[in-house]
Amino acid sequence: MFKKKHPLQSKSEILLRNIVVTAMIVFFLVFLIIPIGIAFVGSFHEWNPLSGTYRFLGMENYKEVFTSSLFGRSMINTLIFSVVVIIFRVGLGLGIAYAIYSPFIKYKSFFRAIYYMPIVTPMVAVAFVWKFMYNPQIGTINHLLGLNINWLMNPKTALLAVMIMTIWKDFGYAVVMYCAGLYSLPSDALEAAKVDGANGRQVFLHIILPLLKPMTLFVVITSIISYVQAYVQILIMTEGGPGTSTYLASYIIYDEAFVKYNFGYASALSFVLFVITAVFTWCSFRVSGSEE
Amino acid sequence: MKKKIMLIAMVSALSITSLAGCSSESNKKEQTKIDVPTEVFGDTIKYDPNVEVNNGEKVTIELWEWGSDELFESLIAGYTAIHPNVTIKLVNNPWEDYWTKLPLALDGENGPALFNIHNSYHENLINYLAPLDIPIEDLQADFTGVDAHIIDGKVYYIDYGMMTGTVYYNKDMWEAAGLTEADIPKTWDEMREVAKKLTIKNGDQIVQAGLNFNGDFHQNYLLGLNYQLGENIFKEDGTTPNVNSDTMKQIMQMLVDFYEVDGVGSKDFGEKGADSFGQGQSAMVIQWGHFYNTLNTTWSDINFGVFEIPTFDGNPYAYNRYNGESTFGINKNAPKDQQAVAQDFVKYYLANDNVQVAFNLAMSTFPAKKSLANNEEILKNPSLRVLAEHIDRYIWPGPMPETVENSLKRAGEEVFYNGVDIDTAFDEAQATIEKDMKNSSFVSVENLYKYAK
Repeated sequence: MFKKKHPLQSKSEILLRNIVVTAMIVFFLVFLIIPIGIAFVGSFHEWNPLSGTYRFLGMENYKEVFTSSLFGRSMINTLIFSVVVIIFRVGLGLGIAYAIYSPFIKYKSFFRAIYYMPIVTPMVAVAFVWKFMYNPQIGTINHLLGLNINWLMNPKTALLAVMIMTIWKDFGYAVVMYCAGLYSLPSDALEAAKVDGANGRQVFLHIILPLLKPMTLFVVITSIISYVQAYVQILIMTEGGPGTSTYLASYIIYDEAFVKYNFGYASALSFVLFVITAVFTWCSFRVSGSEE
Repeated sequence: MKKKIMLIAMVSALSITSLAGCSSESNKKEQTKIDVPTEVFGDTIKYDPNVEVNNGEKVTIELWEWGSDELFESLIAGYTAIHPNVTIKLVNNPWEDYWTKLPLALDGENGPALFNIHNSYHENLINYLAPLDIPIEDLQADFTGVDAHIIDGKVYYIDYGMMTGTVYYNKDMWEAAGLTEADIPKTWDEMREVAKKLTIKNGDQIVQAGLNFNGDFHQNYLLGLNYQLGENIFKEDGTTPNVNSDTMKQIMQMLVDFYEVDGVGSKDFGEKGADSFGQGQSAMVIQWGHFYNTLNTTWSDINFGVFEIPTFDGNPYAYNRYNGESTFGINKNAPKDQQAVAQDFVKYYLANDNVQVAFNLAMSTFPAKKSLANNEEILKNPSLRVLAEHIDRYIWPGPMPETVENSLKRAGEEVFYNGVDIDTAFDEAQATIEKDMKNSSFVSVENLYKYAK
């Protein structure tokens, strides 16, 4: 019998592996697994870490989540917000990436950089600038469009205004991702389609789009995860208002945890949101047929 | 000697509002001029600068605050000039971070010995506070509102100043509308008429609002005018909110009528009333004391005047709500030597009239120290001068949980922007506040009001 050879060659390599793996395990335990465990246990308690309150409530927090009309409304808002922003993010991202990919466009790196710039700008700064632009008296948007709309205080336009800002801020990410996807397409498939006489539309719909499916799935999944967590733009631009018309699920969690210091209820909300996010992600895989 | 110290304190205080651009070097130069008092000073609470702290041995403590560095630096400079063995490290955390970091720091072993308090965070801080080492009778003798701070026979902090709302008006717009000092309104009916005269429209479009309360109707109207009509924010048990009341709805209806019937402003004209006033678009706003300094620093070109808040009939149960600006908290978990310094520092702070004047001027609060009610420097500030006559006719409900303000803000927005009727909006506000306060230890101190029914 041959002695099975260890894939690592030397003791120092094995030591390095052990150190790295241990560090990773400790990191995830300390900053992810243990906090999640604490939050899960806390979700069954009345919990205010600042005043030291920690009292077992059983399922009370969860009952409150499912009977809260505000949570229901915020979930509908979150759904509308996520679906609209993701559709535009994917649509604009793919469209612009395909335009950049076109052989007729010069300065491709310049355009990629331009579209990516909002992504690297902090959301806080962008939200403040857009809030100013939406100002009904002195804002640029009303001035340019010749309108007189109180964008952020009108229940019909407030969420729309936040969505427009978010689309502007985030679609560049999809542009860059789709550019990467387009440049890695197998050239033989494209050439074969051309040889077979496929026109541009047919190539796009039947060759490029299916080949970009993994990238689309990636963009959609990461978008779902990020938009279900969206709250910074709400905090800065509307504070959930007018009334509760722009409350998103994550904004309630922020409000309960860091304004009311009601950590127990906020933890319960977080776990419900976690499950909903997982379900949406699973559905996305199912729809795309990429469960594996 | 006393006058000289007063002068130095005034210069330091003024630097907060008018010399904000001064370099830290110039401040250091100011500090080196401080004369060390040698005689006992104070009213009932006395401070003896000849008594050593920590037996004269070196000791360092931290003082945490969220702004106004120069004010605290001048206070520290005055104290450490008397006690050179004490080093006080000033730590500034922005307001947003302060209330998360502070309780966590106090829960550990290295929390600051001294820290600034805002009473809206009372419930999160009270478990970390050491009681003041000053007899309650002495505190009561020198300061108003002490009774509201007594917890089981102990006082952990008190108010050094009282902040409330007054009406700020643009003098240029006032004059342009043909109004004089004699037109200053005493009642809400008069206020309505004056606001109409100050409103300018171009067709249906408002060009200049007579009165603007956008963004702050909950703080400056709903939670204050109820007292004018003889009703408290909390019911007799001190814990049940009383916001879903006919009185509160009457006030809300008055605000709606101001905009929708009288047309003296609009929910869509100016995102925030205060900003709109500062930008020269609105003629009148009701704002709390801090707005005086904001106007002087941020919108210094606005020529403004101040008058007391109008009443419904000229004979109110109380004029308005006030909130106290709190004295320092002392960390009960700090080492004993640091706590002793912190206690001594607070006594110095309370006994020192110059410091009290400087703090009240910097924050535009009416002094809680009784001996300063007629102080010349205080009464030079118009936002404080208009309060002087009726200062005992203002009520503090206690450190209300934030949900009270937030829920009424939401209720007002539902009415103004979302078309919800007043009854439904206030029903929801009442339910939300009751739910959020279910486990709160808050008990209103409205019953301690001097003229309580």
